[in-house]
Amino acid sequence: MASITAEGVTKRLGSTVAVRDVSFTVESGEHVGLFGPNGAGKTTLMQMLATLSFPSDGSIQIGGRDVTPDATRVRRDLGVMGHRPMLYGTLTARENLRLHARLRGVSTDRVEEVLGQVNLRTQASTRVETFSHGMKKRLAIARAVLHDPTVLLLDEPYAGLDQRSAADLQRILDQFDDRTVVLATHDLARGATDCDRALVLVDGTVSRDVQIEDSATDALETVYQRATDPADQR
Amino acid sequence: MIDGLRKYNRVVLEVVRKDLLLELRSKQVLNTAVVFALLVVVIFAFSFARSFTDVGVVGSGALWIAFVFAGTFGVSQSATAETADAGLDGLLLLPVDRSAIYVGKVLSNTVFTTAVAVITFVCTVIFLEFTVPLDVVPILLVVFVLAAFGFTSTGVLIATMTARARLRELLLPLLLVPLVVPVLLAGVELTRVLTEGYVTWQWLQLLLVYDGLLFLTGLVTFEYVVER
Repeated sequence: MASITAEGVTKRLGSTVAVRDVSFTVESGEHVGLFGPNGAGKTTLMQMLATLSFPSDGSIQIGGRDVTPDATRVRRDLGVMGHRPMLYGTLTARENLRLHARLRGVSTDRVEEVLGQVNLRTQASTRVETFSHGMKKRLAIARAVLHDPTVLLLDEPYAGLDQRSAADLQRILDQFDDRTVVLATHDLARGATDCDRALVLVDGTVSRDVQIEDSATDALETVYQRATDPADQR
Repeated sequence: MIDGLRKYNRVVLEVVRKDLLLELRSKQVLNTAVVFALLVVVIFAFSFARSFTDVGVVGSGALWIAFVFAGTFGVSQSATAETADAGLDGLLLLPVDRSAIYVGKVLSNTVFTTAVAVITFVCTVIFLEFTVPLDVVPILLVVFVLAAFGFTSTGVLIATMTARARLRELLLPLLLVPLVVPVLLAGVELTRVLTEGYVTWQWLQLLLVYDGLLFLTGLVTFEYVVER
C-alpha cells in the first residue's frame, strides 16, 4: 500500500518554480532517499510533505489523505526532522520534549523512553543552547518520533556532523527502520545504506528514480553524476 | 467536537506556559522593557516636568510612549525566539488548528505588555507625580489589559510575518503602529479621563470593538501568515 503519493506537484515561489510537476509514490515501510544538488528543490518538496507549505499545483496524499484540505489529520502520522532542531534553546532537553508531549497528549513516560533511544538521558536536564550540533540533531529525532509517527521525514540529518556523530546518528535512526522514511541528503554513501530507493531531483524535477541494491554506493554515485551532469541531461 | 476543543485549549495553554517559562529564563522582554520605560519616564521628568503644568498630560504621554515601544519590542522578541531554532515549525507540525498557536502567543504577549504598562505606570507615579484616584485604578488596569490585547493581536501577526525579513526592526513598527492607532487613541483618552476621575464609555466601547476586530483578523489570517 502506498504511504505517500505525489501527483504532478509544482511549487511556485514568486516567479521561481522550485518544484516542477513531480510525481512519485512511497510504499508503506519503504525508505526513499531524495538526492540532488543545492537548489534542486529537495527542501521545498520536504516542506510540502511535512505540510509546512502546500503545492501550487498537483496533490500529495499521505496515508490516503490529501495534505491540502486534510493537513491537520495528516500531521498526526508525520515525524519531521528539519535543517534546524525545532526546539527552544533556553529550555532543557527534557523540558522541550515534555512540552511537545503535552502538546500532543503523549505520556511523560514516553519522553524518558525516547531520551534513552537517542542517548541523551544523562544530558536531559541541560539547556539545549549548550548542546553540540550532534546532540541537537539527536534531540530533534527524539522530538520527531515522540508521538510514534508512521512516516518519518528527515531533511539533511547528517549535515554538519563529523564522521563519528554521523555514525552515531545513523545507529539511532536504524531503530526506526520499521517506518516509512523519506530522507533528503547530500551524503550518497549514507543515503545508499539507509534507503531502498533513490529519487534524484534536478532543477525541481525528478531526474532519476532508481532502486538501491545492497552496498551500491558506487552505483548510486554513477546515477547521481549522470542525473546532475548538464551534458548528460542534454 | 469536545475532544477537538480540548486539544485546542491544551495547545493554547501550553503555548502560553512555554512563552512565560522562556521569558522567566531569559527575562529579555521584561528587563529591557522596564529599563526603557524608566528611561522614558526619567527623560519626560527632566524635559517637561517644569514647563508643563498639567502632570496628567505628561504622565499619560510617557505611559503610552513606553507602552508602544515596549509592546513592539515584546512581540518582536517573542517572534525571534520562535525563529531562532525554528521552534515555531515544531508548533506548526501539531495536528491542531494553527489559530491555537496564535491565541496562545497573543495571550502570553498580552501578559508581558500589561506587566510593562503597570511598571511604567508605577514609574510615572513616582517620578512624574502622576496621580489617579484610587477608585479608578482597577478600571485603568482593565484599560491596560484591553490595549495590550489589541496591540498584541496585531503585533503577533506582523512580528511573525516580518520575523525572517532583513529589515524587520524597521518593518514591524512601520506596519504595526498605524494599525493600532485606534487602540492607542482609546488608551490615551481613557487614561486622561480616568485621571480626572470619570470614565467615558464610548472610548471603552471603541477599544473593545477594535480589539475584537483585530483579534478575529489575526485568528483568520494566521494560517496564511505562517505558510511558506
